[in-house]
Amino acid sequence: MANYFNTLPLREQLNQLKHAEFMDSNEFSDGVNALKGKKIVIVGCGAQGLNQGLNLRDSGLDISYALRKEAIEQKRDSWKNATDNNFNVGTYEELIPSADLVINLTPDKQHTSVINAVQPLMKQGAALSYSHGFNIVEEGMQIRKDITVIMVAPKCPGSEVRAEYLRGFGVPTLIAVHPENDPEGKGWPYAKAYCVGTGGHRAGVLKSSFVAEVKSDLMGEQTILCGLLQTGSILSFDKMVEKGIDPGYASKLVQYGVEVITEALKHGGVSGMMDRLSNPAKIKAFEISEELKDIMRSLFQKHQDDIMSGEFSKTMMEDWANGDANLLKWRAETGETAFEKTPAGDVKINEQEYFDNYLLMVAFVRAGVELAFETMVEAGIKAESAYYESLHETPLIANTIARKKLFEMNRVISDTAEYGCYLFDQACKPLLADFMKKVDTDIVGKNFNEGKDGSVDNIQLVQVNEILRNHPVEIVGVKLRQAMTAMKAIKTV
Amino acid sequence: MHNNPIVHIAHLNLHYAGQAVLSDFNWHIYPGENWVIGGKSGTGKTSLAKAIVGEEKTTGKITFHFNEHNPCPPRSYYVSNWYQFTNLEGDRNFYYQQRYNKFQKNDTLTVYAELIHFGQKNDLQYSDVEPILYALGFENCRDTQLIELSSGEHKKLQLVQALWLNPQLLIIDEPFTGLDKRSRTNLLSIFDEVAHRGTTLILITNAPQLPTCINRFAEIENGQLNVVEQATDFSKDAVREKKPLPYFLQKEPESTSQTMVELKNVSVRYGDKVVLKNINWRVKAGEKWLLQGPNGSGKSTLLSLLNGDHPQAYSSNIWLFGTKRGSGESIWDIKEKVGIISPEMHWYFDRNATVWHTVASGFYDSIGWFIDVKHEEKKRIEQLLDFFDLLPHKDQLLHTLPLGKQRLALLARTIIKNPPLLILDEPCQGLDVAQTTHFNSVVDELCTHGNTLIYVGHYESQLPSCIEHQLILENGEVVEEITI
Repeated sequence: MANYFNTLPLREQLNQLKHAEFMDSNEFSDGVNALKGKKIVIVGCGAQGLNQGLNLRDSGLDISYALRKEAIEQKRDSWKNATDNNFNVGTYEELIPSADLVINLTPDKQHTSVINAVQPLMKQGAALSYSHGFNIVEEGMQIRKDITVIMVAPKCPGSEVRAEYLRGFGVPTLIAVHPENDPEGKGWPYAKAYCVGTGGHRAGVLKSSFVAEVKSDLMGEQTILCGLLQTGSILSFDKMVEKGIDPGYASKLVQYGVEVITEALKHGGVSGMMDRLSNPAKIKAFEISEELKDIMRSLFQKHQDDIMSGEFSKTMMEDWANGDANLLKWRAETGETAFEKTPAGDVKINEQEYFDNYLLMVAFVRAGVELAFETMVEAGIKAESAYYESLHETPLIANTIARKKLFEMNRVISDTAEYGCYLFDQACKPLLADFMKKVDTDIVGKNFNEGKDGSVDNIQLVQVNEILRNHPVEIVGVKLRQAMTAMKAIKTV
Repeated sequence: MHNNPIVHIAHLNLHYAGQAVLSDFNWHIYPGENWVIGGKSGTGKTSLAKAIVGEEKTTGKITFHFNEHNPCPPRSYYVSNWYQFTNLEGDRNFYYQQRYNKFQKNDTLTVYAELIHFGQKNDLQYSDVEPILYALGFENCRDTQLIELSSGEHKKLQLVQALWLNPQLLIIDEPFTGLDKRSRTNLLSIFDEVAHRGTTLILITNAPQLPTCINRFAEIENGQLNVVEQATDFSKDAVREKKPLPYFLQKEPESTSQTMVELKNVSVRYGDKVVLKNINWRVKAGEKWLLQGPNGSGKSTLLSLLNGDHPQAYSSNIWLFGTKRGSGESIWDIKEKVGIISPEMHWYFDRNATVWHTVASGFYDSIGWFIDVKHEEKKRIEQLLDFFDLLPHKDQLLHTLPLGKQRLALLARTIIKNPPLLILDEPCQGLDVAQTTHFNSVVDELCTHGNTLIYVGHYESQLPSCIEHQLILENGEVVEEITI
């Protein structure tokens, strides 16, 4: 199979990349009607599969689960998840032939084999849905021309998709229709109805394309979301220990700090996060993050270039073919870092202290979010897509680090994200070596404000604030966050 | 002459949200004394309890003189009136229907694991907890996950832990809340027993029945301790001025079906565990039902089937408002016709919601926030807030109000859309007698306009008078159906 994106002429590549339109809520006034009475079969019953299915059924749609024969016979977790919630479960052969819509919610890596098994069974004129376009765009999977291919991608973990639905809301969602596979023109009505069924229409929906989703999703997860959070966490921890900060304290500050800091990001964007610092600390964080942007820009660009050219997916698929040799090796190495092995100390750190004593992470987050956003936009991706794949998702990933450190983060994210994260981390650490030599405990481990009188230069502060607030990620962020009216605080430690 | 007091509180001052709660507060608690703190709501009882165990910031002095010869551990312990637990990953971002959705990965600890953890932390013997589990009828909950416990069962778990710890000073905020009758009776004698063994008790409650060991009574008045002779001397909240219901609630709710609820041979099981067994029940339009049964008998599960919250409703013979479940209706179609309030919903309610937002969310059946509220709806919200005397609190966060006021706000949320079916699952949990009477009189008045009512309450003396039918559950089965 050939990389689909690379088969397109440049104008079509650009056309699909820049596909991103924030949808007005009245576009969803038809509710779930387009799918009402249709047979919907979900393949896979993990966290996304189960929770999306529960929502769709609660919206009045007809949902069953197709599982592999072995999963049913051996009563695996996917079978238990589906049957414990009283869903109809059957094999591919039993359920797929009568399905009007098949929703593929298996992990990326299984897509090719799942589609190869499912496609021949699908009836003429049925529809197929993905929640991530890797299989279509990077692996170049060809779907029968009578089949409609759509994508509905909630931008949150499965458990959140369910929780928000039952609260009466939803999570931000990206929807798309594959231009090569929309023979009857029912792609958009189906995608919209599916989105309503999961509650996504209440939290902001972005009309995207398979190409835009894949190229921006890969970029976000490799750089700011996972890669930079991993690099920043490990470097911060090592620096504190090197400078004599108690390792238990350092471990706790790093494990929970990134979550507390990005919680501010979620509500008020980069400037909201920076506003949590005192004026002198804000200026310091601004200066450091400017330097970090200069150092790391070339690396962000390399990642985007490799994603666009298909180099990244090619390398990763070679590793798939090689039994995940690199992935498993790197995963093991991450498990062995000092940060991972040092338990969080039994010390109380209050919310503001996470900002005051961990200024370095604030700088990392600002640099990473802005760089990822800028690089994506330069590569032809629209600001709305770039926002979701950088700023919006950062707090969600940070949440996994707070749970059980980096190992947990890498366990929860997809294998694709994990692979890209390690690539970034390995390249980023040497790049930052000289920078880290200058770092002292005033910006990581101790309160930056200590011993300072808090005064700053008026003009300088005004300029810094202006630069922060006028960054394009802030402009688009204000608009998109407004749509997510139901955004609630996850929690504080 | 007295021994040293076990607790000596001198010149205590405590502020909450800029208001003085305790001012120059003094109190001696001597060994052999067991106190009940009662009286009006919102006087600072909970704040005082928290201050004693160091959970509130205060000025002044609190000194403990524990007895080294007492076999009970020399420490104090506070059981709050609200339960708290986290999932395995340490956060508590739950939603109230979560206990009905099944996912293979455990979200929370089991009761047994939680007890083992508690025992290890406090150096306790597991064999000592067994009798307490039996006394409170909790022995069958060992393998239940914390998320699956009902509010009454959570209360029991808190009590089990406190009684197992057996501290010299035990402070319990609303010990009887949510407990069924048998557990309440057993708890009374357990309290007498622990008091006899050397624990000093402080119970914060206005419950009508108290353990016999209670020998001191006090309330808080103007931030200071006011000792009284007996519980009947506690001052009571002023009788509320009776106001007419807002106009929009004085008319019959819109309803198209003669039968609100019909269940035919409905069972719910999780693996081998049967939670509901062959339930047959019909609720006709306008009927007023009381649903009763001990903690864990399946009441909440039964109600969850009626509100679209339980996944097993799809494969059962359940008709709601004349439509069979699973015939293409959405849960929002159902919720639109149901006004529900339950302790679980209260517990998991959005902590960012103000009182006004809470009530407004009733129009959309959402938990907290809401979409756009129209002019007519705004008017209704104002009228209802006024009816419940909540107007002065409308911009406050719901969870910062005294419990009684929170409940009223949630009741307002429940009735704001004048739903044909009201499901009130222990709506008065945590309210005192006066508040409960007021609450129930509102329910009575509401129901004169044709609403159908399903009400759950553990205190037989504290029910709305409009009740005319009764369904009693035990171990998941209907044991009695009575027409009063």
